Amino acid sequence: MEFLNPSALYGLVALPLLLIPYLIRRKPQRIIFSSLLLLTEYDASARHRPWGRLRLPPAFFLQLLLLTLLILALAEPVLSVRPTHIAIVLDNSASMQTVEDGKTRFVLAQERARSLVADLSVNGRVELYRTVPRLEKIRATPFSPSEAAGAIGALEPYDLGDHVIDYDQVLNELMREQKYERVYLITDHPVSGQGEKIRALSVGSPQANIALLAFQARRASLANAQLEATVEVANFSAKQEKIKVLLRGSGTLLQSRELVIAAGKSAEASFSGFGAHPYYEAEIDVRDALPLDNRAFAVAPTAATLRILAVSPRPQALASLGAIPGVKLDLISPTDYEKAARSGYGLEIFHFATPASLPQTPALFVLPPDANALVDLGTPIARTVVSGWRDPHPLTRYVNFSLFRPTYARPLKPQAAGDVIFESPQGPLVFAIERRGVRHLVLGFDPFPYLGRGNLPMSIFTLNFLDWFFESAGRRGTASGEPLSLGVSRQGDLMITPRGEKISLDPGANYFAGTFLQGIYQLRRSGENQLFAVNFQNANESDLRAPAPIAMKGATQGGGGAEAFFSYWPYLLLASLLVLIIEWFIFPRMASLGARVRSGRVA
Amino acid sequence: MLPEPFTPAFLTQLETLRLRTRKEFLGSHPGSYSSPRRGTSLEFADYRRYSPGDDLRYLDWGIYARSDRLYIKLFREEVDLFAYVFIDASASMLFPSRAEKFLPASHVALALAYVVLANHDHVKLHLLQDPPPSAASPFYRGRRRMTECVEFAASAKPAGQLDLAPALGEHLKRLRRPGKAILISDFLMPAPSYQQGLNVLRGFNLDIVAIQVLSRQEVDPAFPNGNLALVDSESQAEFQYRWDTGARQSYRTRLAHHNSEIRSFCHQSGIHYSLYVTDRDLKDFVFATLPAIGLFK
Repeated sequence: MEFLNPSALYGLVALPLLLIPYLIRRKPQRIIFSSLLLLTEYDASARHRPWGRLRLPPAFFLQLLLLTLLILALAEPVLSVRPTHIAIVLDNSASMQTVEDGKTRFVLAQERARSLVADLSVNGRVELYRTVPRLEKIRATPFSPSEAAGAIGALEPYDLGDHVIDYDQVLNELMREQKYERVYLITDHPVSGQGEKIRALSVGSPQANIALLAFQARRASLANAQLEATVEVANFSAKQEKIKVLLRGSGTLLQSRELVIAAGKSAEASFSGFGAHPYYEAEIDVRDALPLDNRAFAVAPTAATLRILAVSPRPQALASLGAIPGVKLDLISPTDYEKAARSGYGLEIFHFATPASLPQTPALFVLPPDANALVDLGTPIARTVVSGWRDPHPLTRYVNFSLFRPTYARPLKPQAAGDVIFESPQGPLVFAIERRGVRHLVLGFDPFPYLGRGNLPMSIFTLNFLDWFFESAGRRGTASGEPLSLGVSRQGDLMITPRGEKISLDPGANYFAGTFLQGIYQLRRSGENQLFAVNFQNANESDLRAPAPIAMKGATQGGGGAEAFFSYWPYLLLASLLVLIIEWFIFPRMASLGARVRSGRVA
Repeated sequence: MLPEPFTPAFLTQLETLRLRTRKEFLGSHPGSYSSPRRGTSLEFADYRRYSPGDDLRYLDWGIYARSDRLYIKLFREEVDLFAYVFIDASASMLFPSRAEKFLPASHVALALAYVVLANHDHVKLHLLQDPPPSAASPFYRGRRRMTECVEFAASAKPAGQLDLAPALGEHLKRLRRPGKAILISDFLMPAPSYQQGLNVLRGFNLDIVAIQVLSRQEVDPAFPNGNLALVDSESQAEFQYRWDTGARQSYRTRLAHHNSEIRSFCHQSGIHYSLYVTDRDLKDFVFATLPAIGLFK
């Protein structure tokens, strides 16, 4: 026998509460009597008992039976009909790595899955699904029960957060399309309202956790070669925590900081003045439920220079940028952009040009042509005056706007969410967008050529935005599950995962999508190693206190085979109704009848 | 002004009564009770040989005619009576209320006191309380002192827990004359306790009357059925009971047994005993029950 709603069984724990009204009702009336001499002799055994002799009326036992039946009915007991074709959807998201009494939730889920498989007959068929990186079947053909047990053991959780999946809809579709007799979802989320054929098994319980939410290592500025790093740590617990943050460079401990983090808050630790290493690792020195989010990785800024890919129909206007120290400039025409190897650039400048799709790297758009995704341009302004600007802001720092006079400008009409940095009376002139750590800047005027002291306000602004982009180039990290942008791959290129697996890259591939694990990925290309840091940074997944519940409506259409369950609860409900009738109507009448009979005998 | 039951008619009826004693006491004044001494009453006691100086009026001339010897007739001395009325003034005498137990008990005491006063005998009222101070009135004599008796009884403030023997002992230490002792109490105490108390009185050669006073609530408790926390009015001890028909019946049986034990002890000890349930008419008790146990002549 199984229970579709086993949480209702917790109600049984509350059954002893039924005694309370009887005990309260039994609280003795206090009466003063002349002498208890004869009474104490009468019933010495009753003395000193706080509640006297506990005698419970038959009505109590009827009520107890009634409540027990109701609770059992709420728990929806069913007699399982043995299925032969089932699907097991195993949640393999990062939170399944949470440790529960020495075992991870994923191990617990595997045990549950194996026990489901063990219940199947020899001819049974099992299909296994995992939930991340997407809900997908492990193997196209069904497993036999013995194969399935092995396949379950071979599964492992990924360092990826949950996808937003409407499990009710998705599992119902699976049931309909694949004709499963039963579908089991094993997850660490609480599940409500399961049906007869779609069953959810929850593992784990809410826990406190400390998580390293962000880790960045960068150079202080374009002109400053000193390295600095910041670590953001969140405390997902109900009490203040004092923790130690360690910074390692290529495995060697560099520095450490102590942080005191209030309950439910986050705090940031800064490091500076450490030596250059190929990659850095931040670690918080705690033993908590989820070890995965106690570490984060970052690769060092590749060089002290900002590599710029300038795309312009008039490249000569941008050539002067190459004169700025720390800037390395490559100029191409818009027609060459799609064919160009674009990896390793800290900034792409689109000068009177726009790409077919927005780049996933920092980009500057100077007077972009119409039909771009970011802004529309207004009519040219005859005499440009800056009438307002954001202050303080890294882009407006040290700029004397009274002398800031672009020779040609068009007001911007933003089509996307972002910040207006400064504006003329006719409209915004500079518009900044930051999405998932990638910065885009749109200018309604042309700041080039870079004239240095020849146009000091414009030159200061130019240096400001280069610094702004340079800073973001250092911050850019890859979250687990996001593709790594590699440029065009050639034959023999290898990607080495944090576990040391060597994956050959397809020639011509621009991206590597298998970033399911946190750590340092190495791209081996032409004898050179390029490092990528991939981090699991998902605050929702790290917060183990109250995982989002999965609501199942319980109505299952279609599916294969006979009914999955024989439900008892209607019979239990009927029985409880019967007990209620006895307790409410029949029992008091019988009691009063008995009293009348007794009094008649006495008379 | 005397309280309610002591109407002129009731007092007149009381004046017709005289306490009866089963012992002879040495009185202080001539009275109507026999004394062990020879005196001048009309009740013949004995003969003795004539000796010179005897009053010739008491010579028995008949004996002299028959035997030629001179004998003097001796008569009993009749003296007055000293009566001691002991009233239990413990906290249990206030249950269920003063008016329903202690007042009826004091009315019995006053009625008997008036009988004594009306006969020109001496009566002294004692309040039994433990711990001391236990109060005792002076000796009263003559019916005009009834008011003072009433005032003394009215001034009593029952309280505390009574241990009968020590409390009586305190009073008896100051007694100089034997007489009639009337003990009025609910006797709701262990048998050894009341037996020791009565034995103390017996030890002082007193002619004892024990009157047990109980309220109707004590004879037939009207507790609601169910669990009760009963508190002892004297010790304040609290006990938990489930009160039902069986418990009520058992209590009645035990009370009857307790009372019969008191009656039996009194009978064996030569003590007049009577039970007065306070909802009964006082006159009926005084004029019907008490004469029946031989308290009055």
